[in-house]
Amino acid sequence: MEDNNISVVSGSADVAIASEGVTPPKKKINKAKLHENLWGWAFVALLVIGTTVFVYISFIMSVMLSFTDYTGRGGTFWEALGTIHPDGAFTWYKEMFKPEVMGVGGDAQYVWGTMLSTCFYLIGIPIGMVLALFFSVLMSRDIKFSGTFRVIYYIPTVSSTVSISLMWSNLFAQGGLIAEMLDMVFLAGATTLAQRSCIIILTVWKGLGGTIVLFVAGLNGVNESHCEAADIDGANAWQIFWHIKMPQIYPTIFYVLVTSVIGGMQIYAEPALVFGDWGGAGGSIATKDNTPFVGYIYGVFNADHEWAHASALGIVLAIIIFILTLVQFALDSRRDKE
Amino acid sequence: MTEVINTSLPQEEEVKLNGFKRALQTFCGWFGFGVFGRNSNKKRKKLFFDVIGYILLLLGAFTMIYPLWWMLAASLADSDMTLLRTKFWPSGTPYFGLFYNYERSITALDRTWGLENSLFRSIGNTLIYSLVPVTIGVIVSAAAAFAFAKLDFKGKNFAFFYCLAAIMVPFPSIMIAQYCFYDALNCCVCPLAMVIPGCFGAILTAFFIRQYLYGLPTSILEAAKIDGAGYWRIFWTFIIPLAKPAIMAQFILSFMGSWNNYLAPQLFVRENAWKPLTLAISAIDGLGNIDNQPVVMAASVIAIAPILILFAVFQKTIIGSIMMTGSKE
Repeated sequence: MEDNNISVVSGSADVAIASEGVTPPKKKINKAKLHENLWGWAFVALLVIGTTVFVYISFIMSVMLSFTDYTGRGGTFWEALGTIHPDGAFTWYKEMFKPEVMGVGGDAQYVWGTMLSTCFYLIGIPIGMVLALFFSVLMSRDIKFSGTFRVIYYIPTVSSTVSISLMWSNLFAQGGLIAEMLDMVFLAGATTLAQRSCIIILTVWKGLGGTIVLFVAGLNGVNESHCEAADIDGANAWQIFWHIKMPQIYPTIFYVLVTSVIGGMQIYAEPALVFGDWGGAGGSIATKDNTPFVGYIYGVFNADHEWAHASALGIVLAIIIFILTLVQFALDSRRDKE
Repeated sequence: MTEVINTSLPQEEEVKLNGFKRALQTFCGWFGFGVFGRNSNKKRKKLFFDVIGYILLLLGAFTMIYPLWWMLAASLADSDMTLLRTKFWPSGTPYFGLFYNYERSITALDRTWGLENSLFRSIGNTLIYSLVPVTIGVIVSAAAAFAFAKLDFKGKNFAFFYCLAAIMVPFPSIMIAQYCFYDALNCCVCPLAMVIPGCFGAILTAFFIRQYLYGLPTSILEAAKIDGAGYWRIFWTFIIPLAKPAIMAQFILSFMGSWNNYLAPQLFVRENAWKPLTLAISAIDGLGNIDNQPVVMAASVIAIAPILILFAVFQKTIIGSIMMTGSKE
């Protein structure tokens, strides 16, 4: 790629020189330009190579793998990549829409059941954003120690997800602190709603700090003079917040929403640590009810050893996340037009 | 206090109000709200909202801190029952010394994995998986960011959007193929699968450093160029020191991300000897022994402590740069 570029640049420069009727074979500017091209590509080379190999080629391999029936046995991965599933290339994709009857057939209920629980965990995002907005408004007021509060609220965000999840599962456990305080059963033997609400509380608690920091940055960036002008015109604090500050921090809110939806669709560690890994057919009911989609992908890979199947599920996840992101951007552009 | 407010009131209006309304007016007056024709007091109103704000913020801060304190206290409990009843300090601590659970977490892991000193080993592995790829990766990303922000080369925009589009591909959808790929190369028995990909940098890191570099004046670089400095030298002597806040912040954020990573090592690291700390904790959790939970909490404290200390030391840089670049990991 680099060589191509250089030749293109030098070639075009030569042509330009020739057309002017000047004959020196090499000019200083030409050389500087070539140097800049060379170094520019040299600086980005590793990143481009890494992205190509570990994202794009991986993705292509993932798509190819999803058409096979590779299970890790019988032949190497490279041999398997070229083959297709004996029942047709799209077997694993068709399976996702076939319900399982008496232990045979597709896995429609698992795929869409786990997808449903993943989407249920997304409820934490609006809750977290409203809470974060509330706290960041309190922090961006003219008060002392707001920096200290920001740091304290950020602590759960930096803590290890594994430790945090295991800690909350102890707090929610039978006889644990929160379960006793609210006199409710959260984990074993509880309703699915109560079980899932644990994960939502956990993720909201963990994600609050990061969102607050971004919102405070957005609120600090609001143009002070607009607020003062509104204040002089007799607007009250609520009107100033809703009509002047909100539109200005809208980009931040949108950014947080998009990134949290992308991240939320990939939730795995918290439910896996609280309810256990998807153990295939023999797994417990609590696990089956609450495993998110990524947990199901991992379960199909790890417990069922259906590697190609897991890969196909992954592709579906990528498509769903892509569509969700597109929908959000479409809604955003419609708002801009109004 | 009431007298001060009353002096500022017109007397005629006060006469019209009945007893209840007057009491309400006086009460709201304390907090600076003007009701029934009284002027509001801005200073008092601000004080009132400040106090309410502080109370709410303190409540929130307590909610953020308390579970972590609970974890520390619970790691000192002597049994599962004591752990569950723990509020601020366990009612019973281990007979064999306060930090007995920490000792047990080491021995329990050794027995499960059949290795010597596996907990220390896993801490070392975590350090390898987070320090090596993150250090190299952030420098590589900074180099790319420098090229994207300050150099003008053919295909720059293409390269940038080519890399940026990669964030649309979620990790869970490519992880199976990556596993097969590493497995075919025999990388899953050694830690290379956790180290090599990170060394190629990350586009998001590059993106945020690029945003920072845009704010730097180009004139310094042009001056250096005229003085005969090459691009390599400009990068090492100008860009790295100038973009240090952004680079440091991205380094710390990526470091924390790698330290807390769970799914990737669970998938890619199949050899017990090379498993990181996060897998060690979940392995201890999976033991299911009697009085196991205090041990799990002890291991969790071991995992959280270094990262919290790092955060405490660099909190200004981290929070400042997140606010500046708007990244969040």
